[in-house]
Amino acid sequence: MLNLYELYKNAKTKNIIFYYSGPIAHASIEGVAATLRKNLQYEGTDEITSNAVFSVFIEQVQNILNYSAEKFSDINSDDEDLRAGVVAIGYEEGFYCIYCGNKVYNQDIPKIKENIDSVRNLDKEHLKALYKERRRMEPPPSSKGAGLGLIEMARKAVKPIDYTFIPMDEEYSFFTIKVVTGREKI
Amino acid sequence: MNDLIIEKTQSTPYINFSHEHKKLFISGESFPENAAKFYAPILEWIKQIINDPNTDSFTADFEIIYFNSSTSKVFMTIFDTFENAVKKGMQITVNWRCDSENETAIECGEEFKEDLSTLPFNIVLVKGVENG
Repeated sequence: MLNLYELYKNAKTKNIIFYYSGPIAHASIEGVAATLRKNLQYEGTDEITSNAVFSVFIEQVQNILNYSAEKFSDINSDDEDLRAGVVAIGYEEGFYCIYCGNKVYNQDIPKIKENIDSVRNLDKEHLKALYKERRRMEPPPSSKGAGLGLIEMARKAVKPIDYTFIPMDEEYSFFTIKVVTGREKI
Repeated sequence: MNDLIIEKTQSTPYINFSHEHKKLFISGESFPENAAKFYAPILEWIKQIINDPNTDSFTADFEIIYFNSSTSKVFMTIFDTFENAVKKGMQITVNWRCDSENETAIECGEEFKEDLSTLPFNIVLVKGVENG
Protein backbone atom coordinates (compact mmCIF):
# COMPACT_ATOMS: atom_id res chain seq x y z
CA MET A 1 0.00 0.00 0.00
CA LEU A 2 1.31 3.43 -0.99
CA ASN A 3 1.93 5.56 2.06
CA LEU A 4 0.21 8.79 1.11
CA TYR A 5 0.66 10.12 4.65
CA GLU A 6 4.42 10.11 4.09
CA LEU A 7 3.98 12.14 0.90
CA TYR A 8 1.62 14.50 2.69
CA LYS A 9 3.99 14.94 5.68
CA ASN A 10 6.97 15.42 3.42
CA ALA A 11 5.18 18.21 1.57
CA LYS A 12 4.11 19.81 4.87
CA THR A 13 7.62 19.79 6.36
CA LYS A 14 8.96 21.36 3.17
CA ASN A 15 6.24 24.06 3.36
CA ILE A 16 4.70 22.98 0.09
CA ILE A 17 1.19 24.42 -0.07
CA PHE A 18 0.33 22.91 -3.41
CA TYR A 19 1.63 20.00 -5.44
CA TYR A 20 0.53 18.48 -8.73
CA SER A 21 2.14 15.71 -10.70
CA GLY A 22 0.79 14.04 -13.78
CA PRO A 23 -0.82 14.80 -17.11
CA ILE A 24 -1.87 18.41 -17.55
CA ALA A 25 -4.61 19.67 -19.83
CA HIS A 26 -5.83 23.22 -20.23
CA ALA A 27 -8.98 22.32 -18.28
CA SER A 28 -6.91 21.24 -15.28
CA ILE A 29 -5.00 24.53 -15.38
CA GLU A 30 -8.30 26.44 -15.22
CA GLY A 31 -9.53 24.47 -12.23
CA VAL A 32 -6.30 24.58 -10.30
CA ALA A 33 -5.85 28.29 -11.03
CA ALA A 34 -9.23 29.08 -9.47
CA THR A 35 -8.35 27.03 -6.39
CA LEU A 36 -4.93 28.62 -6.09
CA ARG A 37 -6.41 32.10 -6.19
CA LYS A 38 -8.90 31.24 -3.42
CA ASN A 39 -6.14 29.65 -1.36
CA LEU A 40 -3.93 32.76 -1.61
CA GLN A 41 -6.89 34.90 -0.66
CA TYR A 42 -7.74 32.75 2.39
CA GLU A 43 -4.12 32.86 3.50
CA GLY A 44 -4.34 36.63 3.54
CA THR A 45 -1.60 37.07 0.92
CA ASP A 46 -1.30 40.69 -0.21
CA GLU A 47 -2.65 41.43 -3.67
CA ILE A 48 0.68 42.13 -5.40
CA THR A 49 2.19 38.88 -4.12
CA SER A 50 -0.94 36.95 -4.91
CA ASN A 51 -0.99 38.31 -8.49
CA ALA A 52 2.71 37.51 -8.93
CA VAL A 53 2.32 33.92 -7.68
CA PHE A 54 -0.73 33.43 -9.90
CA SER A 55 1.01 34.85 -12.95
CA VAL A 56 4.18 32.77 -12.50
CA PHE A 57 2.06 29.66 -11.92
CA ILE A 58 0.11 30.19 -15.18
CA GLU A 59 3.26 30.80 -17.24
CA GLN A 60 4.91 27.72 -15.69
CA VAL A 61 2.05 25.30 -16.32
CA GLN A 62 1.42 26.66 -19.80
CA ASN A 63 5.09 25.98 -20.51
CA ILE A 64 4.58 22.34 -19.51
CA LEU A 65 1.57 22.19 -21.80
CA ASN A 66 3.59 23.67 -24.66
CA TYR A 67 6.99 22.09 -24.17
CA SER A 68 7.05 18.96 -21.99
CA ALA A 69 8.62 16.05 -23.87
CA GLU A 70 6.19 13.65 -22.17
CA LYS A 71 3.08 13.61 -24.32
CA PHE A 72 -0.15 11.64 -24.42
CA SER A 73 -2.26 11.86 -27.51
CA ASP A 74 -4.72 9.86 -29.49
CA ILE A 75 -3.79 9.84 -33.17
CA ASN A 76 -7.41 8.94 -34.04
CA SER A 77 -8.83 11.98 -32.37
CA ASP A 78 -8.58 15.74 -32.68
CA ASP A 79 -8.65 16.11 -28.92
CA GLU A 80 -5.92 18.17 -27.35
CA ASP A 81 -2.69 16.49 -26.30
CA LEU A 82 -1.91 16.02 -22.65
CA ARG A 83 1.58 16.74 -21.37
CA ALA A 84 3.04 15.49 -18.13
CA GLY A 85 4.81 17.59 -15.56
CA VAL A 86 5.11 18.53 -11.92
CA VAL A 87 4.23 21.84 -10.27
CA ALA A 88 4.87 22.74 -6.66
CA ILE A 89 4.27 25.97 -4.79
CA GLY A 90 5.86 26.49 -1.41
CA TYR A 91 7.36 29.00 0.99
CA GLU A 92 11.08 29.33 1.45
CA GLU A 93 12.71 31.97 3.62
CA GLY A 94 9.67 34.22 3.59
CA PHE A 95 8.98 34.07 -0.15
CA TYR A 96 6.76 32.04 -2.42
CA CYS A 97 8.58 29.61 -4.69
CA ILE A 98 6.97 28.17 -7.77
CA TYR A 99 8.69 25.05 -9.07
CA CYS A 100 7.94 23.36 -12.32
CA GLY A 101 9.44 20.19 -13.73
CA ASN A 102 9.11 18.08 -16.85
CA LYS A 103 10.98 15.76 -19.17
CA VAL A 104 12.97 17.41 -21.94
CA TYR A 105 15.00 16.02 -24.84
CA ASN A 106 18.73 16.14 -24.14
CA GLN A 107 19.28 17.82 -27.49
CA ASP A 108 17.08 20.76 -26.39
CA ILE A 109 19.06 21.48 -23.20
CA PRO A 110 21.52 24.03 -24.67
CA LYS A 111 18.65 26.10 -26.12
CA ILE A 112 16.66 26.07 -22.86
CA LYS A 113 19.79 27.07 -20.88
CA GLU A 114 20.50 29.87 -23.29
CA ASN A 115 16.91 31.17 -23.02
CA ILE A 116 16.97 31.23 -19.22
CA ASP A 117 20.52 32.56 -18.91
CA SER A 118 19.69 35.43 -21.25
CA VAL A 119 17.10 36.78 -18.79
CA ARG A 120 18.01 35.53 -15.32
CA ASN A 121 20.56 38.23 -14.47
CA LEU A 122 18.93 41.18 -16.18
CA ASP A 123 17.71 44.01 -13.95
CA LYS A 124 14.04 45.06 -13.92
CA GLU A 125 14.50 47.95 -16.35
CA HIS A 126 16.20 45.75 -18.94
CA LEU A 127 13.56 43.05 -18.50
CA LYS A 128 10.80 45.59 -19.04
CA ALA A 129 12.49 46.86 -22.22
CA LEU A 130 13.03 43.31 -23.48
CA TYR A 131 9.41 42.37 -22.70
CA LYS A 132 8.09 45.36 -24.64
CA GLU A 133 10.42 44.69 -27.56
CA ARG A 134 9.51 40.99 -27.74
CA ARG A 135 5.80 41.78 -27.40
CA ARG A 136 5.87 43.49 -30.79
CA MET A 137 8.01 40.84 -32.50
CA GLU A 138 6.96 37.73 -34.37
CA PRO A 139 7.43 34.74 -32.03
CA PRO A 140 10.34 32.39 -32.80
CA PRO A 141 9.15 29.49 -35.01
CA SER A 142 9.86 26.93 -32.29
CA SER A 143 7.68 28.80 -29.79
CA LYS A 144 4.03 27.91 -29.31
CA GLY A 145 3.37 30.89 -27.08
CA ALA A 146 4.51 34.44 -27.57
CA GLY A 147 8.02 33.72 -26.28
CA LEU A 148 7.27 36.12 -23.45
CA GLY A 149 6.59 33.70 -20.58
CA LEU A 150 10.15 33.46 -19.37
CA ILE A 151 10.62 37.24 -19.39
CA GLU A 152 7.32 37.64 -17.53
CA MET A 153 8.52 35.18 -14.86
CA ALA A 154 11.87 36.96 -14.56
CA ARG A 155 10.04 40.25 -14.09
CA LYS A 156 7.97 38.83 -11.25
CA ALA A 157 10.96 37.10 -9.65
CA VAL A 158 12.73 38.63 -6.65
CA LYS A 159 15.79 36.40 -7.10
CA PRO A 160 17.46 35.08 -10.28
CA ILE A 161 15.56 32.15 -11.79
CA ASP A 162 17.18 28.82 -10.91
CA TYR A 163 17.13 25.61 -12.88
CA THR A 164 18.61 22.11 -13.03
CA PHE A 165 18.78 19.29 -15.57
CA ILE A 166 19.00 15.77 -14.16
CA PRO A 167 19.99 13.18 -16.79
CA MET A 168 17.44 10.35 -17.09
CA ASP A 169 18.77 8.34 -20.03
CA GLU A 170 20.34 8.87 -23.45
CA GLU A 171 17.31 10.67 -24.77
CA TYR A 172 15.82 12.57 -21.84
CA SER A 173 16.65 14.72 -18.85
CA PHE A 174 14.40 16.04 -16.12
CA PHE A 175 14.25 19.82 -16.16
CA THR A 176 13.33 21.80 -13.05
CA ILE A 177 12.86 25.55 -12.91
CA LYS A 178 12.36 27.61 -9.75
CA VAL A 179 10.95 31.11 -9.52
CA VAL A 180 10.95 33.01 -6.21
CA THR A 181 8.40 35.79 -5.96
CA GLY A 182 6.29 38.04 -3.76
CA ARG A 183 6.92 40.42 -0.93
CA GLU A 184 8.85 38.94 1.95
CA LYS A 185 6.54 37.46 4.56
CA ILE A 186 7.66 38.39 8.04
CA MET B 1 -21.68 44.06 -39.71
CA ASN B 2 -22.91 41.71 -37.06
CA ASP B 3 -22.46 42.09 -33.34
CA LEU B 4 -20.15 39.65 -31.65
CA ILE B 5 -20.76 38.24 -28.19
CA ILE B 6 -18.54 35.64 -26.59
CA GLU B 7 -19.44 34.40 -23.11
CA LYS B 8 -16.69 34.22 -20.56
CA THR B 9 -15.06 31.01 -19.40
CA GLN B 10 -12.62 30.40 -16.55
CA SER B 11 -9.71 31.36 -18.77
CA THR B 12 -11.23 33.67 -21.36
CA PRO B 13 -13.01 37.01 -20.97
CA TYR B 14 -16.53 38.12 -21.81
CA ILE B 15 -16.49 39.94 -25.13
CA ASN B 16 -19.17 42.18 -26.54
CA PHE B 17 -18.83 44.11 -29.78
CA SER B 18 -21.75 46.29 -30.57
CA HIS B 19 -21.75 47.72 -34.05
CA GLU B 20 -24.71 49.97 -33.27
CA HIS B 21 -23.06 51.50 -30.20
CA LYS B 22 -19.61 51.46 -31.80
CA LYS B 23 -18.29 49.78 -28.74
CA LEU B 24 -16.07 46.91 -27.78
CA PHE B 25 -16.21 45.63 -24.21
CA ILE B 26 -13.85 42.98 -22.85
CA SER B 27 -13.97 41.90 -19.21
CA GLY B 28 -12.63 39.11 -17.03
CA GLU B 29 -9.48 37.04 -17.13
CA SER B 30 -7.46 35.95 -20.12
CA PHE B 31 -5.15 32.96 -20.19
CA PRO B 32 -6.46 30.86 -23.09
CA GLU B 33 -4.63 27.75 -24.17
CA ASN B 34 -3.91 29.41 -27.50
CA ALA B 35 -4.32 33.18 -27.33
CA ALA B 36 -3.70 33.78 -31.04
CA LYS B 37 -6.46 31.31 -31.93
CA PHE B 38 -8.93 32.60 -29.34
CA TYR B 39 -8.52 36.23 -30.38
CA ALA B 40 -8.51 35.59 -34.16
CA PRO B 41 -12.26 36.37 -34.61
CA ILE B 42 -11.89 39.50 -32.47
CA LEU B 43 -8.98 40.76 -34.56
CA GLU B 44 -11.05 40.03 -37.66
CA TRP B 45 -13.97 42.07 -36.26
CA ILE B 46 -11.63 44.95 -35.44
CA LYS B 47 -10.22 44.88 -38.96
CA GLN B 48 -13.75 45.10 -40.33
CA ILE B 49 -14.88 47.99 -38.13
CA ILE B 50 -11.83 50.16 -38.80
CA ASN B 51 -12.39 49.67 -42.54
CA ASP B 52 -16.14 50.25 -42.28
CA PRO B 53 -17.05 53.44 -44.21
CA ASN B 54 -20.03 54.04 -41.87
CA THR B 55 -17.94 54.05 -38.73
CA ASP B 56 -15.83 57.06 -37.83
CA SER B 57 -15.56 56.66 -34.09
CA PHE B 58 -15.25 53.78 -31.71
CA THR B 59 -14.70 53.06 -28.00
CA ALA B 60 -12.98 50.05 -26.48
CA ASP B 61 -13.38 49.26 -22.79
CA PHE B 62 -10.97 46.74 -21.29
CA GLU B 63 -11.77 45.51 -17.81
CA ILE B 64 -9.23 42.78 -17.38
CA ILE B 65 -8.24 41.41 -13.98
CA TYR B 66 -5.45 39.16 -15.18
CA PHE B 67 -3.95 38.27 -18.55
CA ASN B 68 -1.06 35.98 -19.44
CA SER B 69 1.94 36.87 -21.55
CA SER B 70 0.57 35.55 -24.85
CA THR B 71 -2.62 37.60 -24.34
CA SER B 72 -0.43 40.63 -23.71
CA LYS B 73 1.00 40.20 -27.19
CA VAL B 74 -2.49 40.04 -28.74
CA PHE B 75 -3.60 43.17 -26.84
CA MET B 76 -0.53 45.02 -28.14
CA THR B 77 -1.50 43.99 -31.68
CA ILE B 78 -5.04 45.28 -31.06
CA PHE B 79 -3.78 48.64 -29.74
CA ASP B 80 -1.30 48.99 -32.62
CA THR B 81 -4.16 48.34 -35.06
CA PHE B 82 -6.23 51.04 -33.32
CA GLU B 83 -3.31 53.42 -33.38
CA ASN B 84 -2.86 53.00 -37.12
CA ALA B 85 -6.58 53.68 -37.63
CA VAL B 86 -6.31 56.82 -35.48
CA LYS B 87 -3.42 58.03 -37.64
CA LYS B 88 -5.72 57.63 -40.65
CA GLY B 89 -8.34 59.83 -39.04
CA MET B 90 -10.63 57.51 -37.09
CA GLN B 91 -11.59 58.47 -33.54
CA ILE B 92 -10.87 55.63 -31.17
CA THR B 93 -10.66 55.77 -27.40
CA VAL B 94 -9.43 52.97 -25.18
CA ASN B 95 -10.51 52.87 -21.55
CA TRP B 96 -8.34 50.54 -19.53
CA ARG B 97 -10.61 50.04 -16.54
CA CYS B 98 -9.15 48.54 -13.39
CA ASP B 99 -9.84 48.24 -9.72
CA SER B 100 -8.15 51.09 -7.86
CA GLU B 101 -6.55 48.49 -5.58
CA ASN B 102 -5.24 46.22 -8.33
CA GLU B 103 -1.75 47.71 -8.74
CA THR B 104 -0.74 44.94 -11.14
CA ALA B 105 -3.57 45.75 -13.58
CA ILE B 106 -2.87 49.50 -13.33
CA GLU B 107 0.82 48.95 -14.09
CA CYS B 108 -0.04 46.75 -17.08
CA GLY B 109 -2.25 49.53 -18.45
CA GLU B 110 0.54 52.05 -17.99
CA GLU B 111 2.95 49.82 -19.90
CA PHE B 112 0.60 49.68 -22.88
CA LYS B 113 0.07 53.44 -22.71
CA GLU B 114 3.84 54.10 -22.71
CA ASP B 115 4.15 52.25 -26.02
CA LEU B 116 1.38 54.18 -27.79
CA SER B 117 1.72 57.70 -29.14
CA THR B 118 -1.48 58.87 -30.80
CA LEU B 119 -4.15 56.48 -29.52
CA PRO B 120 -6.09 58.03 -26.61
CA PHE B 121 -5.57 55.50 -23.81
CA ASN B 122 -7.24 56.29 -20.49
CA ILE B 123 -6.51 54.42 -17.32
CA VAL B 124 -9.81 54.51 -15.45
CA LEU B 125 -9.78 53.54 -11.80
CA VAL B 126 -12.98 52.02 -10.54
CA LYS B 127 -13.99 50.53 -7.22
CA GLY B 128 -14.57 46.82 -7.10
CA VAL B 129 -14.00 45.29 -10.51
CA GLU B 130 -15.36 41.78 -10.27
CA ASN B 131 -14.41 38.86 -12.42
CA GLY B 132 -16.58 39.13 -15.54
